[in-house]
Amino acid sequence: MMETGRRGFFKQIFTAGAALAATGIGAAKPRTAEASVQEQIKGVCLFVPTLGKASDFVEMMNNNAPGSWTAHPLNGSLIEHYFTTKNLYEDAQSHANTFVGVVDPATFAIVHEAIIDCCGSFHYITYEDRDRVTFSVRL
Amino acid sequence: MSSFIALPKGVTEETFAKAIKEYRALLGDERVRTDPASLQSYLKIMIPETVELHKPSAAMYPKTVKEIQAIVAIANKYKTPLWTVSTGKNMGYGSAAPATRGQIVLDLKTMKKIVHVDEELGYCVVEPGVTYYDLQQYFKKHKMNLWVDVPAPSAMASPVGNTADRGVGYTPYGEHFLVSCGMEVILANGDVVRTGTGGVHNSTSWQSYKWGYGPYVDGIFTQSNYGIISKLGVWLLKGPPPGGYMPFLMKFPKVEMLADIVKTFMPLRLAQIIPNACVVVNAGWEAAGYFTYDKNGKGTNRSNFFKGKGSLPPKVFQEIMDKYKVGAWNFYAALYGSPEQVALNWKYVSGAFKAKFGKDVEIITEKEAVDDPIFEYRKQLMMGGSTLQEFGLYNWRGGGGSMWFAPVAAARPSECDKQMRIATDILNKHGFDYVSEFIVGWREMHHIIDLLYDRNQPDEMHKAYQCFDELLKVFTKNGYGTYRTNIAFMEKAANTYGPEMRKIHRTLKMALDPNNILAPGKSGINLDIPLK
Repeated sequence: MMETGRRGFFKQIFTAGAALAATGIGAAKPRTAEASVQEQIKGVCLFVPTLGKASDFVEMMNNNAPGSWTAHPLNGSLIEHYFTTKNLYEDAQSHANTFVGVVDPATFAIVHEAIIDCCGSFHYITYEDRDRVTFSVRL
Repeated sequence: MSSFIALPKGVTEETFAKAIKEYRALLGDERVRTDPASLQSYLKIMIPETVELHKPSAAMYPKTVKEIQAIVAIANKYKTPLWTVSTGKNMGYGSAAPATRGQIVLDLKTMKKIVHVDEELGYCVVEPGVTYYDLQQYFKKHKMNLWVDVPAPSAMASPVGNTADRGVGYTPYGEHFLVSCGMEVILANGDVVRTGTGGVHNSTSWQSYKWGYGPYVDGIFTQSNYGIISKLGVWLLKGPPPGGYMPFLMKFPKVEMLADIVKTFMPLRLAQIIPNACVVVNAGWEAAGYFTYDKNGKGTNRSNFFKGKGSLPPKVFQEIMDKYKVGAWNFYAALYGSPEQVALNWKYVSGAFKAKFGKDVEIITEKEAVDDPIFEYRKQLMMGGSTLQEFGLYNWRGGGGSMWFAPVAAARPSECDKQMRIATDILNKHGFDYVSEFIVGWREMHHIIDLLYDRNQPDEMHKAYQCFDELLKVFTKNGYGTYRTNIAFMEKAANTYGPEMRKIHRTLKMALDPNNILAPGKSGINLDIPLK
């Protein structure tokens, strides 16, 4: 299980992020966005394994932004992160409406390039602190 | 309120809208983008300047030479500058963002043809959107025993882009411009020039003979804004036979050993016993590679060892070295050839280092490295493989700020040692760590220093800028030129090469691109800014 502080963190980040993504609103700031979920969230969440287990993330997402969530750990080498992200994003385009993540800066640099190499773009990119980046990708 | 996120300097909204209309008539709406979402990818910079200074006005995605010819005609008509990128992975040098606000990014990632691969002579001709990974996959698919020399972000970077910026790699073909042969370049007036022997009708040697006839011009299309490279010839290595590739690592415990390390390997490098662009990596860089996750999967970085402000004290550096078992200096090189040649050369190499350092050198080959991820990353780089492990550096300090300070050192022991000391002093003074590698060329070393900082902290942004500025000034004062720089410092770096050189660059620009439509500001070449 995730520690309590981390739960709070995810609640704050993803409730806004997921709602924003699902409504398709442009590059607004997620924390100030007054977004409402207009459709059922079908979400994909990328994370680095240090932050918890996939089941924790799914539980967290369902609690805070109810919908159908799958969580994908970015395992392996950094080059694997690049190709995994590309595959997941391309796959998500056909069946999901929300694509979010929480990663470290090195992983984010790679995730960013993977997304834009698939001609994708971001709703928001936020450095929560030096070592943790959250993001939401347009679908 | 403008309907564009930025406008080119001196171009009105009305004029720009007309230009965009013409570009769209040429390429269609989908391939001419002005909406903020589409332009966002060009705004992810890692340099310590605001995004506002480098905001593009639009992005275009041509697919053919003819389309680029038509684009430059429109650009000349409306004076809309074009910032060309291949795949836009110039991380730490400005990524894909233009040097000045309002330029249109001419993104060539949609030109993805591998035009030709010649297995017999070992070369290829590629378009700008082709990545090193694409080439590797092509070799694999066609069962070709060929290697392409790669820069560190190999999976997503482009041979055209990296060569055009005079990047380097890690095999014997590490100097990328040196192993390029023949370019196709679109000039600002729409002419298409093929360099070398490419201008000869039905030329058979465009990718096998570099020099052509008369003045050699390829160089003026690198680190420049005199043309748009649409095709490039790249020489490829033949892979050695089984047992003919031997990567190795030598670890040295003390920072003060750098001069002796250089003294020991340079004769081997000059004799081509060590033939590749080998590297001498400092403890910071090496440790950063291990920092993403520890053996238990726990995320670690610099802050696990040091909570204070400023640069890491030597004592903490030592703790990190001990924990991750990295040297103060880590020398990675490789031997190539037949297994017999490799075995013989290894005797020379290991013998030279053992004789010089005795027990102070730890020698690691594949056998000892087992599945060490950092050894594997270096092994891949020295055989032209794909890896993105270098991105691990961004976890060292966090915050997404990174600038390469990249002076060149003549490969003399004393000079490398002096550069290391100067850089360390300046970086530490501004509160940053010395994180570096020396990439060993033919007679010089590219001294690559990653100035890592937190882009989200205004004071760190400011300090990082000041630090880089001081590095540039002090290195110049000591007679050291920089080989490449980021978009925030192109003007300043150009000034370090003297007024005469700046005059030549400007004269060429006036002759080849009088309307200043090609990437103004690249390498400090910009007709809008008078020379001092």
